[in-house]
Amino acid sequence: MTPTKHIEMRNVRKAFRFFTLDDLSLDLEPGQIMGFVGPNGAGKSTTIRLLTGLIAPDAGEIRVLGHAMPEGQAIAKRDIGFVSDEMRLFGHATLDWHMRFIASIYPGWDAEYAKALVRRFNLHPEQNVSGLSTGEHVKAVLLLALARRPRLLILDEPTSGLDPVARHELLGEFMEVLKDEERSILFSSHNTADVERISDRITFIDRGTLVDSSDKEDFLERWRRIQLQIAPGSAVPDLPHVVSKVIDGQFVTLTTNRFSEDLVAFLGNTVRQVQRMSLEEIFVANVMHHRELRGQ
Amino acid sequence: MNMLARKLIAKDFFLYRWLIIGSTAAGLIGLLIAAEGKVRFNIGMLTWLTTIVAFGVVLVMLAIASERKERQLQFVLSLPLSHGDYIRIRVIGLLLCFIVPWAVLTVGAITLIAVMPNLPDGLLPYAVLMCGFFLANYSVVLSSALHTASEGIMTFVIIVTNMNITLFIFLVGGLPSLNDHLQGPVAVWNGTFWIVLGAEIATLLITLSLPYLFAARRRDFI
Repeated sequence: MTPTKHIEMRNVRKAFRFFTLDDLSLDLEPGQIMGFVGPNGAGKSTTIRLLTGLIAPDAGEIRVLGHAMPEGQAIAKRDIGFVSDEMRLFGHATLDWHMRFIASIYPGWDAEYAKALVRRFNLHPEQNVSGLSTGEHVKAVLLLALARRPRLLILDEPTSGLDPVARHELLGEFMEVLKDEERSILFSSHNTADVERISDRITFIDRGTLVDSSDKEDFLERWRRIQLQIAPGSAVPDLPHVVSKVIDGQFVTLTTNRFSEDLVAFLGNTVRQVQRMSLEEIFVANVMHHRELRGQ
Repeated sequence: MNMLARKLIAKDFFLYRWLIIGSTAAGLIGLLIAAEGKVRFNIGMLTWLTTIVAFGVVLVMLAIASERKERQLQFVLSLPLSHGDYIRIRVIGLLLCFIVPWAVLTVGAITLIAVMPNLPDGLLPYAVLMCGFFLANYSVVLSSALHTASEGIMTFVIIVTNMNITLFIFLVGGLPSLNDHLQGPVAVWNGTFWIVLGAEIATLLITLSLPYLFAARRRDFI
């Protein structure tokens, strides 16, 4: 039997006055970490609000853990741990009160794991939430989501505003979650370094439309920057799958999203260097190419 | 009522416990002052009245408007509940949070009038109607807060509902069929009393039904 996809979005549309999320389709399989990457205002938070039932789509279909959203949100959210950088706990209550509150709602609450996270994150359960620093607050919210052992973690920019050490700790914790192959994470961020570190699947979104979605390794293998040196007066070769071309005299830099050794062979001795690209470089090149294609 | 609803209502009682206790205590102190003679009666009853009204407004603003503004609503809505569940829990929970001090202070005021020899029992129907009015007035504030995120609209609602108290005192207190018996030795529960009480109950039921009909059916919650 095919396991239920943890996230299925089909041709989803959501229009606001100044922004439209258009024709978005997305799948997340059990056991996957999907990095959901886009610039500010790309539609990441809107997508996540749709997935968590906070807003309803104008068109299209959304299923989370097999439940139609937003209608089935009350059942789906029993198995979703949702954390957003905008989410705040109750300032006048302690972390311990929050832990007991969540434990009383979720039967799967893992008290031992919660204690371990308290130690690992160096939190003080008896402290009022209003006294927590930004980083501590994010860790507290994550603790409350992780210790309920959800099948699906939806994280909206969870590492924004955190120092590198705190980010490192959190990312390590997400990797721990994925040791259970039945669990999955949708991780939205504009920090490509974080996404590159933990994701096994990556989706790029820009200005409300999906730009590209693929396995991380596939992205890293497909995208290359090729530096050529062409003879004076000769034309720059016209090649398919070249998303950008920068000419500086006889030096040409091509960026391709379909790299192969055949391409290098075709270019022959004009090739000076073939560079792998970081996820951030791929992201920027991909978004810019996408905007160019759409005439934006 | 399911377990989650009970937990969330208990959460409201926990978070606003000092507000509930403090308001009840302030209202009771007002009643104690009112019990000390005719001059102090007015000061005490004004304290009692102000406490109930201010408590209702502060409770709604903290529990709904601040929860939304300080982004705690996302945390609450991440729990396994639907928008309809949230509205239902909010209406029941915040009504109960208000009713506890309101009931104590209503019983206190009625007992004060009934027990104090220098206060005519003819005041009793008017006191009951005034307490009923506080509850109806609170339901308007609560219902409005569940329908709008606009601070401007909420400020307008709070101003109007506060002005209504003055109107109530003069208009309802000025009705001859009630006013004629205020200084009498016996409480008169006549037709006017029941009509006004009925209007208050109708206001309460209608305003608290509106969130189920409209706010709970909103497709976009944040």
